[in-house]
Amino acid sequence: MSLSRSPSPRPGGGWSSPGLTNPYATVSGRSSPTKTYGVNGGPNTVTWESAKAKSNGVNGYPSFSTQGKGFIKQHMRNLSASLPRFNIGAEKSYAEKEKLGRGRWMLREGTKLAKLRILILKTSRKAKIRFLIVTAFIFMTILFYMTPLHYWWRRSKIFGGGKKFVIILAANQGGGVMEWKGPREWAIERDSVKNKKKYINRWGYDLEIVDMSTKKRYAHEWRESWEKVDTIRNCLRKYPDAEWFWWMDLNTFIMEPSYSLQSHVFNDLAKNTYRDINEYNPLNISHPFPSDHLDPEARSPVGDGKASSINLIVPQDCGGFNLGSFFIKRGAWTDRLLDVWWDPVGYEQKHMEWEHKEQDALEFLYINQPWIRPHTAFIPQRKINSFPEGACSENGNDTQIHYSEKDRDFVVNMAGCEWGRDCWGEMYNFRELSNYLNRTWWERFKEDLVALIWFKITGQKIKI
Amino acid sequence: MHLAMPARKSSNPPPYATRSTRFPMLRRSRVQAIVLCACAVGAVIFILSQIVGGSERIPSGTPPVVVVTVLDPDGYSKDYINNIKENRMEYAKKHGYATFFPTVTDYDLNGSPNSWARVPAIRHALTKFPHSTYMWYLDQNSLIMNPELTVEGHIMNPKRLEGLMIRDQSIVPPDSVIKTFGHLKGNQVDFVLTQDKDGLAQGSFIIRRGEWSKFFLDTWFDPLYRSYSFQKADTHALEHIVQWHPTILSKLGLIPQRIMNAYSKEDAAGDGIYKDGDLVIRFAGCDKGGRDCAAEAEPFSKQWKTAFRVQ
Repeated sequence: MSLSRSPSPRPGGGWSSPGLTNPYATVSGRSSPTKTYGVNGGPNTVTWESAKAKSNGVNGYPSFSTQGKGFIKQHMRNLSASLPRFNIGAEKSYAEKEKLGRGRWMLREGTKLAKLRILILKTSRKAKIRFLIVTAFIFMTILFYMTPLHYWWRRSKIFGGGKKFVIILAANQGGGVMEWKGPREWAIERDSVKNKKKYINRWGYDLEIVDMSTKKRYAHEWRESWEKVDTIRNCLRKYPDAEWFWWMDLNTFIMEPSYSLQSHVFNDLAKNTYRDINEYNPLNISHPFPSDHLDPEARSPVGDGKASSINLIVPQDCGGFNLGSFFIKRGAWTDRLLDVWWDPVGYEQKHMEWEHKEQDALEFLYINQPWIRPHTAFIPQRKINSFPEGACSENGNDTQIHYSEKDRDFVVNMAGCEWGRDCWGEMYNFRELSNYLNRTWWERFKEDLVALIWFKITGQKIKI
Repeated sequence: MHLAMPARKSSNPPPYATRSTRFPMLRRSRVQAIVLCACAVGAVIFILSQIVGGSERIPSGTPPVVVVTVLDPDGYSKDYINNIKENRMEYAKKHGYATFFPTVTDYDLNGSPNSWARVPAIRHALTKFPHSTYMWYLDQNSLIMNPELTVEGHIMNPKRLEGLMIRDQSIVPPDSVIKTFGHLKGNQVDFVLTQDKDGLAQGSFIIRRGEWSKFFLDTWFDPLYRSYSFQKADTHALEHIVQWHPTILSKLGLIPQRIMNAYSKEDAAGDGIYKDGDLVIRFAGCDKGGRDCAAEAEPFSKQWKTAFRVQ
């Protein structure tokens, strides 16, 4: 028996001799007698019982027994040990002679609780700590990943700050006022909403589903898609803690729910976006602003060049800005933009020309009002708004525009699918593809290995 | 050998107790001094960093106000234009302001009326004087009559402004439902304007520098407003954006006309007619209807010259 340090003196005087106390007490430092069974309570209490326990502990079983196969004999010890015993004191503390427990009926070891206590006392400190760590780890894993609590963890500032992001999902777009929805439209809506809900639950964001059909007040003015502005404004008010608002059309699908917005875009905003529209300029906007009377910031191609000055992040498709999926940040600048975005004078002159309504209006503002540019950034389309083959298909497959399974693009926007393409079919295919790409390792094991081997052996395809 | 008791101290202590020599530097008074010194140094560093570190620091000698007048030499005598310029410059010199006199042709207006030039002109002034706080646009056909009044003290001082501001006033006089805000504080106002009988009068207005000013000027100058053929061009465009866009209305302070935009003729609203001692006289409408601006300004230009020369 080794000691990590010398045993401390006991109140009764003398040394505790580890070798002489009962063997169950693992000695680490102060060797305190866990229980002594004696009557006299001397320093070296070797009683009959402790000696017997010791020999039992050494041998594992009584060395010799000729009797006691009956029930009573067999269980006598257990029964009697679990009975309360008259305790004649002489334990633990010698300083407290007037102990309450002395001379009373006390529970002895033998109850489950006491056994547990002994077990705990018997295990070493190191083992205890190890056990505690493992338990804590398991507990935390459950807490973080399996309970709804992880949603709140992710929202908090320290564990990701998901509270700062709100997804605005527009339902019933494009003629929601006038048209009845068929089963396909319902299915699209159900899938799209489910996809976003799953995503926000994973990362602790907020989801605002906007029913565009309720906004009838603009319908008579041919202003159907203009309420985007009002919607964003309402969300600014509804989520006062949020910083970034991600507008998504209904025909979008998040293919990779494992990407968080923080890691995918916002942690390195300067690198993930570009300020100078000349990098990709389908509208041929002359940039920077040609007028001499403007301030240097407005005339610089990249504004002030700091990521903190970005308030609007827009992807560009083959035809210019695409507002099917874009980010806008809370702030005075945004309030102003939302305020002037829709203006009756502009609308009156341009509503016949502006086929894409608010999207064209934003392009117009970007082209003509210099204050917009230093706070607008563009994001490569495939970062947040990949197109399926059917959209922007004039020039065949464009690696800047179209979804690539190999690169695991984040979001697909089935833009324009309502004009002559099959929205539901596309949505279904992308959903299945997303599920396939994001299989768990268990599913992969089953499908890629077990099913394959089975197929090789029996020639039958199976679905596990 | 182990002694049970420490040695007994002498009952008669020495008259001067020997000082402990372990930390002679750290006597109580010294510690206090050191702490105080550390605090002082920290404070100095903090103040210095505040002065040096702020990127928006205004360099000394920056004019606090820039007086902007867009000149339209077409149809006016050179003397008249020079008189106007001289008037602004003397006023500016007196108070350490700057002046800025672009001409109408400096800006590409895409064929819209010349009066639009004032909008890019102020934007230009903001660029040229990047640290000046206020841009005072004063129309060409007007004169500064009272050299004593400063822009900051007479108008833009928040306390003064709060007293001057007309609250709950219809933007377009008789019956516009859009009214100026009632609860605005003086330091929230970025745009100070007057009203005449017809509506907003932008012959004289003050803009405070800031992100908002850029937004406002760019919005005002939007090509769609210029092409809309508003009856009074930029004036009506201004009335339009003020009424339709709350982010602009919320920065607007309407003040009584005579504070900085008194009119020479009864064209003005109510008591907007110039009286001696007013900051500005404006010959509103003198360029139309067969009136002669130079002739109308003649008596007043003598007056301002004497007023300025007195000191």
